Amino acid sequence: MKTHVKRFFTVTFLLVSSVMLAQQNISGTVMEQDTGGGLPGVTIVISGTDRGTTTDFDGNFTISANKGDVLLISYIGFDSQEITVGDETSIIVQLVEGQNKLNEIVVTGYGTQIKKEVTGAVAVIGAESIEKLNPVRIEQALQGQVAGVNITSSSGAPGAASNIRIRGIATNGDNRPLILVDGNVIEDLSVINPRDIESVNVLKDASAGIYGVRASNGVILITTKGGRRNMPLKVELNAYNGIQNTTKRIGVLNATEYGYILNESQVIAGNSAPFSDLSSLGVGTNWQNQVFQNAYIADTNLTATGGNEKSNYSFGLGYLNQDGIVGGEKSNYNRITARGNYTLDILDNLQLKSTAIYTRSNRDKLSENAIGSILFNALNMNPTLPVVDSSGAYSLAEGLGGEVINPVAQIANTYDTDQIDKISATLGLEYTFLNDLSIQSRFQYNHANVNTDVFRPVVNYGSGKVFNIDRNELTENRNNFQDYTWDTFLTYEKSISNHNLKVLVGQSVFKTYGTFESYTGYDLPSNVYGESSLADAAEIIDNQEQNKEREANTFDVRLLSHFSRLEYNYKGKYLLSAVVRRDGSTRFGPNNRFGIFPSGSVGWLVSDEDFFANNNIVNFLKFRASYGIIGNDRIGDYRYVSTLGGEATYVANEERVFGLAEGALANPNIKWEEQVTSNIGLDANLFNDAVNLSVDYYVRKTEDLLLTAQVSGILGASAPGSSAPTVNAGDVENKGLEFLIGYQGNISQDLKMNVSYNFATLQNTVLFVSGDNGFEQGGSFGIGLEPPSRMVAGQPIGFFYGLETDGVFQNQTEVNAGPTTNIAPKVGDLRYVDQDGDGDVDLDDRVNIGDPIPDVTMGLNLGFNYKNIDFSSSAFASIGNEIVRNYERNQPFVNRRNAVLDRWVGPNSTNENPRVSAGANPNGLFSDYFVEDGSYVRIQNIQIGYTFPDEVLNTLNIKKLRIYGSVNNVHTFTKYSGYDPSASNGAPIGGGIDLGFYPVPRTFIAGLNLTF
Amino acid sequence: MKKNNILLGALTIMLLVVSCSDDFIDVPSRNENSEEFFNSQEDYEKALIGAYDLLQSTYLNVMLGEIASDNTLAGGESATDVPGIQEVDDMIHGTTNQQLRDIWGWMFAGVNRANYILEFQDKTEFSGKENIIGQAKFLRAYYYFELVKWFGDVPLAVDTRIQFGEQFVVERTPKAQVYAQIEADLIAAAAALPATQNVVGRATKGAAQSLLGKVYVYQDKFEEAATVLASAISGPYSLVTDYASIFEHEGENGSESIFEVQYTDVEGAGFDCLQCSEGNVAVGFNGIRQYDGPTFDSGYSFNVPTQEVVDAFETGDIRKDVAILDIDAWNAANGSSSGEGYEHTGYFNRKYIARKGDLNTGDQNLTNPNNYRSIRLADVLLLAAEANNRKTPANDAQALVYLNQVRQRAGLAALSVTGPDLRQAIDQERRVELVGEGHRFFDLVRTGAASREIDGFVAGKHEVFPIPQIEIELAGSRWAQNPGY
Repeated sequence: MKTHVKRFFTVTFLLVSSVMLAQQNISGTVMEQDTGGGLPGVTIVISGTDRGTTTDFDGNFTISANKGDVLLISYIGFDSQEITVGDETSIIVQLVEGQNKLNEIVVTGYGTQIKKEVTGAVAVIGAESIEKLNPVRIEQALQGQVAGVNITSSSGAPGAASNIRIRGIATNGDNRPLILVDGNVIEDLSVINPRDIESVNVLKDASAGIYGVRASNGVILITTKGGRRNMPLKVELNAYNGIQNTTKRIGVLNATEYGYILNESQVIAGNSAPFSDLSSLGVGTNWQNQVFQNAYIADTNLTATGGNEKSNYSFGLGYLNQDGIVGGEKSNYNRITARGNYTLDILDNLQLKSTAIYTRSNRDKLSENAIGSILFNALNMNPTLPVVDSSGAYSLAEGLGGEVINPVAQIANTYDTDQIDKISATLGLEYTFLNDLSIQSRFQYNHANVNTDVFRPVVNYGSGKVFNIDRNELTENRNNFQDYTWDTFLTYEKSISNHNLKVLVGQSVFKTYGTFESYTGYDLPSNVYGESSLADAAEIIDNQEQNKEREANTFDVRLLSHFSRLEYNYKGKYLLSAVVRRDGSTRFGPNNRFGIFPSGSVGWLVSDEDFFANNNIVNFLKFRASYGIIGNDRIGDYRYVSTLGGEATYVANEERVFGLAEGALANPNIKWEEQVTSNIGLDANLFNDAVNLSVDYYVRKTEDLLLTAQVSGILGASAPGSSAPTVNAGDVENKGLEFLIGYQGNISQDLKMNVSYNFATLQNTVLFVSGDNGFEQGGSFGIGLEPPSRMVAGQPIGFFYGLETDGVFQNQTEVNAGPTTNIAPKVGDLRYVDQDGDGDVDLDDRVNIGDPIPDVTMGLNLGFNYKNIDFSSSAFASIGNEIVRNYERNQPFVNRRNAVLDRWVGPNSTNENPRVSAGANPNGLFSDYFVEDGSYVRIQNIQIGYTFPDEVLNTLNIKKLRIYGSVNNVHTFTKYSGYDPSASNGAPIGGGIDLGFYPVPRTFIAGLNLTF
Repeated sequence: MKKNNILLGALTIMLLVVSCSDDFIDVPSRNENSEEFFNSQEDYEKALIGAYDLLQSTYLNVMLGEIASDNTLAGGESATDVPGIQEVDDMIHGTTNQQLRDIWGWMFAGVNRANYILEFQDKTEFSGKENIIGQAKFLRAYYYFELVKWFGDVPLAVDTRIQFGEQFVVERTPKAQVYAQIEADLIAAAAALPATQNVVGRATKGAAQSLLGKVYVYQDKFEEAATVLASAISGPYSLVTDYASIFEHEGENGSESIFEVQYTDVEGAGFDCLQCSEGNVAVGFNGIRQYDGPTFDSGYSFNVPTQEVVDAFETGDIRKDVAILDIDAWNAANGSSSGEGYEHTGYFNRKYIARKGDLNTGDQNLTNPNNYRSIRLADVLLLAAEANNRKTPANDAQALVYLNQVRQRAGLAALSVTGPDLRQAIDQERRVELVGEGHRFFDLVRTGAASREIDGFVAGKHEVFPIPQIEIELAGSRWAQNPGY
């Protein structure tokens, strides 16, 4: 007995004394691993107690803890760490920027939110993801990253714009989303250097409603890098060099095959064979090889970021130089950007934030995606002709119609340059007072000079060519665009027990204005570009002369808005957001001057509920729903009043005289396009944030689409410069499902992996077009044929409307039994389906033969980090989009695709391709023979990098050095026979038609990232 | 203190911007409001230019007026090159013909522009107003004459534009009534307009009288026609002796020209708005396919003359080589070369094909500057001859005077036949004098010779063209279609 007690006391005493003895002062520093700088305000808590401390401005801390205690170290934006106290009394903690996205800052309109509390469908792309893809333009970095955002390239040419479509095509008018960079309206994203971007936030649903009448195509908010408080100066150099080439050449006939087929087609038409000796033709000229070349690209960026106690800043300088794979230097794009970002606490409660971006870019352009464009000509050009003839001059393209010319000569004679000089600046002040209130005023301003020079030298491409120029001309366009946005808003934030409230009330004023100048000079003394100037021309015409009298070469459009938002949450668990905005625009008619746009969203953090507490699989689950009415104000100016903007030009003494006449017929009721958008979704994190999941389902119905529906000709709307009144008379619906799943984690000590996959389905249906049998049409196919694309109730917008084929007539019996066309078919011609059964195939037998809108789009990102090596890759897929093949000139002597080698030559030779004939035949009508499946999977990017270990770098005073190699646009898997299945000019009616699209190049890059 | 100043400054800025009121967005249009116009002489003159503008779009009427007849074939690159033109050539045009729709729309555009001036004709007074009003009436008559020739009964609007909404109530006015308005307009114009205008190409007294005479002849009102045409002939006009120069550049607005549609080559044009072109689009369309050689320029080889019309010229007729270009003979003589389009006949409409020497402003096939000689003295003389021959009582002597003036200028012997023989001679003379100028189809129709001369012409149907089906629908589907379509 006595022994137990004694033992008990001894043990207790020892324990107590050990505890008392082990309670020691731990001191340490918390640093940011990337920069090596100390982090102030980091929270350190002893696990299981409420004892803790925070670090000071230098990141230092002291705390009393026992050996074996676990210290929890956490800081917003960084991965939390747990450190068990050992024998050491001095600890260094290195925090890494967080993978945990829940605390990420999401930029919403006029404010920010924590990702956890966002109730709308918002996607965020951070600088890291953007930099991995090395995009030349920011749109290239969005492809495949956000479910529901579809980027189609309008061209692969350097400096070419991309089309961004968020959740389908909502209008037959302008589908561009609203893009704000630091609150500044930017239409042309080429002026933004992707390296300057901190984050891209895409508002896909009614959460864009804070932007009211400009929100119906979605809103993209971009913030530029700004540095951070108390951060020592960090200088980064990012540079890469690369080679681009084309991923594809289309198979066309060589000279011998061309001669053989041409002979056959002429003989079938009853003419004599043009080539008597095929054996001497050989392979001939491969025109595509003549116009495609390897092209160079180089990009260099220098960034300096930092901050002290009261301010933070970021400055950047960048230079990009890119030649084109068609035309080399003649297709060059170069850009200089200089950027500054500065935030200063003037007083404790008064903050100044300013940004400025200056861009100077030069773009040399070649003709593309049109009849007679470079690639169109390379495909149709006669391969028996040499590039230059015996005298050394470019060979003439005789006998090939009026548009096909020698593409090498065409490149040499094209001088078409755009130069953009742009400043975008923002200045904001935020004043916080009375604890809960803050008032913010931001002024955003853009000033751009867009100068275009087009020089056409005297040139003869052959007889009767539409591109022949008899007198040289130089056109100089000097356009100036300015706009400003002035936002002022008041925010009130209050928390009472567990109720958190944030109210925002504000006003926004937007004005865009500009001037157009354009002069054309004829008969310049020199036929060499650059040797003489416009002033030397024999005749100079002011293209804006008529307009200048009334100042009609200027424009001034304004928007006045008032808005208010309420954000409420209870315990951060039940979330509510409600917005109302009132917008008025100079574009709206007097009967509909102002519109009211309400929207709201709710959310429920299920994982914060008690019943969810012990779930091991799902650690975060949120349901959300949103609904709103938003609008589109891109409707053209002054449609509501009948003005004398028509064209009234006659001739007296061979000079033009200018009068006045009515312009577009008026519609005083004209208003914005209105959209009702609803969305339900869930976000979940599983397995301790290792897996994140997001699902959304949305329905967007856009009404009051603007249609210049046809009107009776007796109203005079076909007079020059006049047009039918624009009326709000169409409805279209987009609905779909979006899904995103991602995983990141450590597979082993040295191996980290991240993978994410997303897909989005899209169903687009037009509900109504102006009347019972109303339709709009657009696009072009062939020469002199009806427009191939339509907008009609019950079909997707811009679907292809043409004839359906049903094989080839194999013998005369079949011809006799089949329907006729306006040119009587013969054996070997395509058989069309006579839909209305009247024995005649004509314009009434057209049906839906495809549409350019994909049914499903998908993205996949896969990355590994193994010790110092990193690997990343991304792929994108588009399924169910169709493309019209429109680069074959229907003319007897042009070259053809090598599919023609499988043409019909006799009964049962083939049921796919018709016979060739130089005579009249019905095979050139618009039918599904010209519509191909454009579905594709594209491996967009593969990158491997190596980061030098710290030991090596420390001796050189370098914080980080990484070298990498990457390939962009590695490979595209597709059945499409043209250059690039991602081709589209982006027109809602008339898109998806390929006239020799300049393909997106494959680029091999070697680069480095250096941080001092 | 400094702190307070900064605060004050910041707050002031913020509050200033809040004071924007709703009329911030009231920005007037740069272009004038059409309802507040016509306040000065200059306004009327500007609107008048607008009314003249649509004359340039009548190139299509001229082309199809030949192609529909036995003078020319459609041509072009292939059988599907501009299907609308091919259909009219073969007399298989239907209610979905795009070219007929263009004529309908462009002529009504002209009517509305002329009516715009006449709607406000009483708003402002100034000297010289009668001249402007007279020209507006002439133009309205010109456009309505085209509409009634092509489509028969058409909605008539007098001194008021047809406004949005009215297309659902307006009816097709009977042809006779439209003609009555045309006559009234031309009579008023003839009275108001001077014999010559300061500005070249504007309508004159003689132009109004000539057009009136033609309008009478079309309605078989020969007595009235003979009178007014005599007045026109006594105007300041004379036949040009060097026939070959009439249609060349130096022959523009010559002594024989009574009314001429003006064109120029200084402005660019595109296929997206053919009615906007300041050049003569028909000239490029009629041009020689893939031509390489002197004097002429290339074109799309439409509107190609038939062997029949070439054979219609008498031996020794100097007009033949001016009107018809025998391309094979030309190429052999000049070492030039050319291509062959669809329906190649070996001939081209030499009066109105592209010539070298113009600026070739892009798109060069759409910007040829050749003026269209709408009313020539020769035309008026032959109409007068016809009117005098066909009126009761006939005045064949006078008819012969007029006819022989035209024949002698053409290097042919004078005729002395009378009665029905004279009538036939006049018809024949009209054909060879005016080939390629767009009159033949309507001459055949009004003289009842169409079904005899034109392949596929069905009497009772093809005298007028169908109103485009879509136009009937867009006006509320209330109008009956022309018979047979």
